[in-house]
Amino acid sequence: MDVTGKPLSEQQIDAILVRALARLGEHAPSRSFADRVMTRVALPQPRPVVLYHRARAWAARPSHALALAGTYAVSAVVALAVVVPWIMARLPAIGFVTDWMVTKAGALVRDGVVAVAEWSLASGLTDALRSLSVSGVGFWVAGVALACGYAGCAIGLHVLLRAPKAKEVVHVRA
Amino acid sequence: MPSGKDLRELSDQEVVALARGGREAAYRELIHRYERPVFSLIYRMVRDRALAEDLAQDTFVKVLNALDSYRPEYKFSSWIFKIANNVGIDHLRRRELDTLSLDGAPDARTQDEIAATALQAVDRTESPLAELESRELGSLIEQAIARLRPEYRSCILLRHVEGRSYEEIAETLDLPLGTVKTYIHRARHELREYLEPYKE
Repeated sequence: MDVTGKPLSEQQIDAILVRALARLGEHAPSRSFADRVMTRVALPQPRPVVLYHRARAWAARPSHALALAGTYAVSAVVALAVVVPWIMARLPAIGFVTDWMVTKAGALVRDGVVAVAEWSLASGLTDALRSLSVSGVGFWVAGVALACGYAGCAIGLHVLLRAPKAKEVVHVRA
Repeated sequence: MPSGKDLRELSDQEVVALARGGREAAYRELIHRYERPVFSLIYRMVRDRALAEDLAQDTFVKVLNALDSYRPEYKFSSWIFKIANNVGIDHLRRRELDTLSLDGAPDARTQDEIAATALQAVDRTESPLAELESRELGSLIEQAIARLRPEYRSCILLRHVEGRSYEEIAETLDLPLGTVKTYIHRARHELREYLEPYKE
């Protein structure tokens, strides 16, 4: 009830509620909170310092360092002693095969282009395009339709490829 | 280079930029600015002081270790509240903990602990009687908030305790604006219902 003894209306209760919520105090964590957080935070360091720490970390684990260095060394020896001589010995053959593949790929592309050109001439597409007038309505309608279609595809792809943003909401009752 | 006092005058974005450069004082300034709001939000979600400290710590560690991924075009406060809310919700989801404390936190054992964790709704300009009434009402509201669903609780706390706009809350909680408004409306309705028996 208010001071006049009348029951409070819903709006009055709402106003009191909002006011009371706004006046709820803040709870404070313990005094050492910031220090405890800082012990778990990795401050960014200059590159040389990072490299120094990494070197020290490796030095503290000699078996890991030796294993890594050994793997690198074996890889380098295998590469120099086996792989490189094998490639050098077969260089002419590798060059011939590469040339052949490039020539074949070029011929395929050329044949494809020629085929498309022949088809466009035979089907009358070229004539149809030539007959289009820039001042004609059809030309502009086709242009707008093409642009809209392209934009629609782009938006569709953007929406489809976007990472899902939905968030699960937990419903926990007291 | 700004001193500790100057840091207090900088915007969040500027302090973050200094922190990214490796300045410890900037990290501490960010903690100083947000430790109370973040702790309060989490504490009101889990109602356990020690646990809230741990979760608030986790929040800050996540935030401060991921400063490089912070995008300055967004408000830093929204980002940190989003992480704090997720940490709190994740905990509730794991533990299904949604308990109600009557006076102070459930883990409070001594009188001092109860007093320390109970409501702190004090307006220094009020008379002792008004202050007592305010404390009682605040205490009831704290209890009522503890009964709300977690997502209602986050919305109402961010809106009316932290004073965030609807848009900011929507951004913080990754919810549509309409949903935020609905949640706040329903939360207020539930709080009113809870306070109904006490309105006289």
